[in-house]
Amino acid sequence: MTAALTLESVSKRYGGFDAVRDLSFEVPKGSICGFLGPNGAGKTSTLRMILGLQPATSGRIDILGAPDGRLVRDRIGFLPEERGLYKKMTPVEAIAFFGALKGLPSHEGKKRARQLLEQQGLGAAQKKKMKELSKGMAQKVQLIAAVVHRPEFVILDEPFSGLDPMNQQGLEEMIRGLAADGATVLFSTHVMQHAERLCDKVVLLAKGRKAFEGTVEEAKATSPRVLDLEGAISPEAAGALPGVAGVETLSDQDGVRRLKIVLAAGAGGQDTLKAAFLSGLDVRGFALKEPTLHDAFIGLTGDNPDQPAVRAEAVQ
Amino acid sequence: MKRTLLIARREYVAYAKTVGFWLSLLAFPMFAVLGGGIPLLIRSAEPIKVVTVIEDGPAATGLAAEVRAALQEEKDRLAERVQEAAQKGQAAAGRAAASISGPKMRLIDAPPALTVAAPGAAREAALREVLDKDASKDRRVDAVVFLSRVDGKPQAQVWTARAMDNDVADFVRNALRTGYRDQALTAAGVAPSLVEQIESFKPEVKAFSPNAASGGEVSMRDRIPAFIGLGAGFLLWSLVITGASILLNSVMEEKSNKILEVLLSSASASEILTGKVLGVAMLTLTVLAVWAGIGTSVLTSASPDTAATIGQVLLDGGLVFYFIAYMVGGYLMYAVLFAAIGAFCETPRDAQTLMGPIMMILVVPILVMQMALTSPDAPVVKVLSWIPFFTPFLMSARAPSDPPLIEVVLTLIGMFATAALMVWIAGRAFRAGALSDVKLSWKTFGRAVTGRG
Repeated sequence: MTAALTLESVSKRYGGFDAVRDLSFEVPKGSICGFLGPNGAGKTSTLRMILGLQPATSGRIDILGAPDGRLVRDRIGFLPEERGLYKKMTPVEAIAFFGALKGLPSHEGKKRARQLLEQQGLGAAQKKKMKELSKGMAQKVQLIAAVVHRPEFVILDEPFSGLDPMNQQGLEEMIRGLAADGATVLFSTHVMQHAERLCDKVVLLAKGRKAFEGTVEEAKATSPRVLDLEGAISPEAAGALPGVAGVETLSDQDGVRRLKIVLAAGAGGQDTLKAAFLSGLDVRGFALKEPTLHDAFIGLTGDNPDQPAVRAEAVQ
Repeated sequence: MKRTLLIARREYVAYAKTVGFWLSLLAFPMFAVLGGGIPLLIRSAEPIKVVTVIEDGPAATGLAAEVRAALQEEKDRLAERVQEAAQKGQAAAGRAAASISGPKMRLIDAPPALTVAAPGAAREAALREVLDKDASKDRRVDAVVFLSRVDGKPQAQVWTARAMDNDVADFVRNALRTGYRDQALTAAGVAPSLVEQIESFKPEVKAFSPNAASGGEVSMRDRIPAFIGLGAGFLLWSLVITGASILLNSVMEEKSNKILEVLLSSASASEILTGKVLGVAMLTLTVLAVWAGIGTSVLTSASPDTAATIGQVLLDGGLVFYFIAYMVGGYLMYAVLFAAIGAFCETPRDAQTLMGPIMMILVVPILVMQMALTSPDAPVVKVLSWIPFFTPFLMSARAPSDPPLIEVVLTLIGMFATAALMVWIAGRAFRAGALSDVKLSWKTFGRAVTGRG
């Protein structure tokens, strides 16, 4: 599959601060790519460089065959992290205006705006002023404004932030619809569930550097499985089981413990569980957990304030 | 180009379709009319005061006649002015002038109650009765003047219904002074006809200048250009500041509403800046057209000759084209600067750091322009008009006084060169500011311009 976007050794420096360092990745045409990373990882800076809003300090960017996003801006749709539309315009006017800036004739822009608003359940809001719409509605309108000209490449910066679960689901459907229509979608987020459900590919960024590039499954595979055991089991006994990389005691009530057993890379967990029963350990409950993208994210970026340091050490 | 025009149109429509814009647009001519018209209206609507004049004793004989004569003389003078105005085709203006000038008084015979009352308590009681605001209309008067002579000199005691009413006292004072002077001159042996001749004498003083349009005598036609220059300077100043301020607020609004980043993904920074500057320029031209339309209509109906002269002055020597050039240059310099500042700010308070000093600098041409009216070639006016930021306003004020062509050309070049530099600086700052979250200061602005931000 050919790439709609290629970054090669791209760096961005603000004064003495390196926001993005030596970043390289590709986004295949027609795919949905999640651009993941904790806050301050350099996601927005990267997206701005891709769009040509900010020049890269070094490196090469190729988007839709052009070396600068500005040269193909009419073929790109962009939803920035901080949203805003003209408050005194109606949704139809706002969508048609931004469509016109991308080369869409005004009458066609208005026609498509009405259709898309209807599709998104905003038919009744067509004649209202933007300032009268709820945040979720305004966000949908802004997304429609970003894609009304049917771009080949859609860049969404934190599109789910500030939306309630209902609107998040609606937005996911919109993104799937864009990809189904042949557009390439690159969206940044730090909410892993959306990426896990949507993305064909993810790129993880940490402290300005790429921490991972691949499919969601490949990302998950970087994180070990976890076996939760409950019973009168000592951590030492659990640690002696086959395929165990580390043990963490989650709770201990008069010798009855909840243990989190981090399995070694490649270990499926069944052998470990079988060995636990066969060795006569007092197993009163168990759960075998598949790694999530969230786990992979934490493992790859080391960025989880809730997670104790022992977990990271155990994984390593 | 299409994007620029789209942004310009949106900018124009966003403001032009608001009621606030049209109200503020009409505010200036409205205040001009109200500022000048209301005092005139109040004066012309003032009721005519009913005044009675009483001579106190035989020594005061003839003083009342002097007051009556002075009042009649004043009325005749005003009637003459109205007639002169009518002959010049300015009857309305003449009538308006007559209605606001001159004493608003009508003399009546003294009520018997006053004439028979002896000075003292009885007279005071009678006075209070006729001056009482609750007195019946046929008995009530607004002022009572008692005239007397002390040591041969006329004196007056003026009683008025309103304590702060000085109109009658002022008029009587002037009338008595004129009468006394005439009597003194007559007593000194000057023939009464000569006294009248002296009284009515108005020396005819004519001003001449080799630079007058006629080549000799200075007429209103020669004075009008200087007033046009001053007016154009002020008009330009207010239009440029209004336009630039609209631009500043518009960019600030887009920055605070997070629209600038979306715009930047759809158009280049220079397209956005140009579009916004163009859109607000159209607004400014709308303002100018409305103001000019109102001004022309009022002037043409009130004084067609003056209107024709102004039109002639503007077209003679291409003065109007100089004004257009200064307007374009001035607007460009300030508009792009204000837009660039707006790109760093979300609230007016954010902009204060830079706007304060700029506004202080902008006061300078306002102060100097007035000097340009009488002394367009004064060194301070000439020197300051070479500073590009002051050029549009000061050269507009000086242009009608025929400054040396070399000065006009060089200041124009300087102004447009500075405008081009400002466009370049503002373009860089605008792009950096639009995506920046840093607090605006001279340092951050400088870093944005130099590309280190």
